[in-house]
Amino acid sequence: MGYLKDERPETMCVQGQWNIGAYKYKASTLMEEYVQGLRERKLVASLCFGCGKVILPPRNLCGRCHRRMDGRRVVSDRGTITCFIVSPPVQKGKLRVLGTDPVETGVLKEGEILVPVFVRFDGSDSNVNTLLIGADPDSVHIGMRVKAVWAKETRGALSDLEGVEPIEK
Amino acid sequence: MAKRNVAIIGCGQTKHSSRRRDVNLAELVSEAVYNALEDAQTHLGEVDAFIVGNMQGFGGVAQPEQWLGDWIGAPGKPVLRIATGGTTGGSVGQAAYYAVASGLYDVVVAVAWEKHSDSKEPGATMGLTHVGFANFCHAFGHGLSLRNLLATSAVGAAAGVAVYQARFYMHRSGCRIEHFDMVAAKSRRNAAKNKYAHLQWPNCTPEDIAKTELIAYPFRYGHICPASDGASAIVVAREEIALKKAKQPAWFKGVAAYTDEENQLQSESFGGVGVLDPSEQMGCRVSAMRVYEMAGIKDPKQEIDVAEIYQPFPSQELIFAERLGLFDDGTAWQALERGETDIDGRIPLDPSGGVNATNAIGSSALQRILEAALQVMGKAEEHQVPKKVRNALAHGWGGVTNFVTVTLLGDTPAQRR
Repeated sequence: MGYLKDERPETMCVQGQWNIGAYKYKASTLMEEYVQGLRERKLVASLCFGCGKVILPPRNLCGRCHRRMDGRRVVSDRGTITCFIVSPPVQKGKLRVLGTDPVETGVLKEGEILVPVFVRFDGSDSNVNTLLIGADPDSVHIGMRVKAVWAKETRGALSDLEGVEPIEK
Repeated sequence: MAKRNVAIIGCGQTKHSSRRRDVNLAELVSEAVYNALEDAQTHLGEVDAFIVGNMQGFGGVAQPEQWLGDWIGAPGKPVLRIATGGTTGGSVGQAAYYAVASGLYDVVVAVAWEKHSDSKEPGATMGLTHVGFANFCHAFGHGLSLRNLLATSAVGAAAGVAVYQARFYMHRSGCRIEHFDMVAAKSRRNAAKNKYAHLQWPNCTPEDIAKTELIAYPFRYGHICPASDGASAIVVAREEIALKKAKQPAWFKGVAAYTDEENQLQSESFGGVGVLDPSEQMGCRVSAMRVYEMAGIKDPKQEIDVAEIYQPFPSQELIFAERLGLFDDGTAWQALERGETDIDGRIPLDPSGGVNATNAIGSSALQRILEAALQVMGKAEEHQVPKKVRNALAHGWGGVTNFVTVTLLGDTPAQRR
């Protein structure tokens, strides 16, 4: 079998651009319901009448018992850390996402230590992956009690829930 | 198992590296296919069908099978392309088994590959973006904070959900970051014995790995798999042909692929997930149980001689070894400490170096089946485990961390006529 590599030793860079425009997409109205709850500083979860699980953020279909999650429950904005990771200090030039450097674009700050966590809010049966704010990274532990940090002015957006912070004892 | 006995009679791989710029995608795939055919002492005219696969959209080619079909001699024959994320290769290998076991075909070639270096961005960012693009845009439309998304998803970089999964495992098992150093060092040492592997590091020690930079505790750079260019192919045949062509065929004794609920991309309206512990991996446990039932394996701890586990991150070698029933819950790291999982240990894990040392994503799970076959056939050369291999287990993991394939190969068929 002849190989092209005999006549063309290396792959070439082929220039091109492609704007994919917009996809068509159909989502339920759950997201609207959830962010409306956030505006009122409430965490609206869905309840499965099959297995009794309460899932936050809400979803239409129960992942394991394949039933519609038609019930709604407002769960507590206090919860427990079930998992956490600790980033080294954020540095410019270390991370590139979709062609941009998040430090250059100001999304992340140079030198900050990020502590992403899984939080199980009281009354729910799922983890929410969010940021731990205002805690000493060395003091973080699984089982740590936290409460929601809300935006100063909520506007009915996912960003209304900024993260969680430790509950002071 | 089905009525017909089926075996792997030949294996072919390409050399894996970050940039196989000397070949294009079609050349890369055909390299593996022709190596496999040569190993199987089989010519193209004897092949009835092709099962092919890679990650969807990777390398900037959406339907690669339409291009490379000509290069592997497929015209005039059936070509089936499969894409199931990280498990793609496992699904491709199992589909080849189904195609022959069902009696539809006598000889089938299964080939899987990835060519990361054809994409502009390192790794698989563009391909992965396509997986959940509309869903993410929907969430952005509802004010998803880019800062939170980056901090929660991208700080772990390629590690993604695996870094959380590792933390859950550490918490419930007592395993420490030093054990991840040990697994990663073992992968690189084993890879140094495998001429096709990517990250080869002879005599690599856990201390060498511990010196590498921290990405997000508990993962260091030295823990992470590379993004490889490469392809793997196997030739699968029915019993009569296998006995003629191969001195020691690698017989399929059990195949299973069970899924769990989607637990990474929040595909369902960006909602939450009922899987509280991502290291639980129910799909793997159920798949393993089914495979052992098919193969008549009563005690996997005693009867499995070697396992090739899909472990892009070292924590996953430990997690899945337990889920495959090779160790009791939460004890795999203790076996690692005792050297039981070394190439000459009681139950060697990833003697090839595994995915931790070589990750051409679409191909990685087929490579596990291929490497298990090499161990059964006695053809693994320098990384052949120093014992008689009767049962070799191959595992694949992927989807949105919810798909699992488990394949058991052995030195005798599951059923004798």
